Amino acid sequence: MIRYKIADVVFDAKTIYKFSEKLCENYRYNGEEQPEFTVIITPEDINQEKVLASDFPDAYLESLALFRKLCHYTLENAQGIIFHSSAIMVDGEAYLFTAPSGTGKSTHTRLWREMLGERAVMINDDKPIIRYIDGEFYVYGTPWNGKHRLDTNARAKIKAICKIYQAKENVIEKINPAEMLVTLLGQTIRPSEEDKMDKLLDLLGKMLEKVELYKLGCNISREAAELSFNTMSKGDRQ
Amino acid sequence: MKIKDGFILREVAGSYIVVAVGSAVKTFNGVINLNQTGAFLWELLQKGAEKEDLVKALLEEYEVDEQTASKDVDVFIEKLEQANLIK
Repeated sequence: MIRYKIADVVFDAKTIYKFSEKLCENYRYNGEEQPEFTVIITPEDINQEKVLASDFPDAYLESLALFRKLCHYTLENAQGIIFHSSAIMVDGEAYLFTAPSGTGKSTHTRLWREMLGERAVMINDDKPIIRYIDGEFYVYGTPWNGKHRLDTNARAKIKAICKIYQAKENVIEKINPAEMLVTLLGQTIRPSEEDKMDKLLDLLGKMLEKVELYKLGCNISREAAELSFNTMSKGDRQ
Repeated sequence: MKIKDGFILREVAGSYIVVAVGSAVKTFNGVINLNQTGAFLWELLQKGAEKEDLVKALLEEYEVDEQTASKDVDVFIEKLEQANLIK
């Protein structure tokens, strides 16, 4: 059994393969806090992941099973949601970029890092966890950090969420909660139980009213990064 | 007519959406957006209603003539049937 602290949730986990242990090693925890729950991965858990994505080796599927269990726990007990996105922190505030895989959200946050240097810190490039704490939404790094392996074991208050699409000319606009809601629901793990679905929808509703929402059409250029950063960092102060 | 089991209507951040729960998740993983009238009709269909009931309810609730109400209900039901949401 190994103890971890991810998204400020302390838990014990027993996995079958070394892959998950290695993946989560930056999130091991030796502090005073007691674990909130225990995860024991079984071959059955791995088989369930196989139904969703059969092409991957069991060791990798196990890490997804672990992630899924953590997500279900945080939704039920810690006002937490997973949001498939690339999350970057600049000057202490987080910006989340979302899009279907392959659109270029990781590329866009890379452009931010090239432009902003040490001011920009990657929180997580693929599967961060968001939590609602004392009226604010925070994004947390997790070990499930995407193919470029980018994450920081840290949290940051979310300033804005931006959906990305590819475009020849760079253009950014604010969007309303209704438009973002459909995107959010497509990029999170949706529970099948009605009471948990209500928790998820309640959290998403609060988040959509709290953070600033944008839609960005962009190409791969420094100008694209300048436009999105200058607009979103000013935000409502503009 | 009745909405199939496992579909729930919710108002989130000012908009009406329908998502699947329970075993309906296996066949439907999307999100349906409804406007206010759509949500009104959906609620009636969740309890079970025939076309005449829906038209009558629209006439009582909204300032609309019977012909328009009837047409709107037809369009709405057709969309639900296409999405395989009615039993």
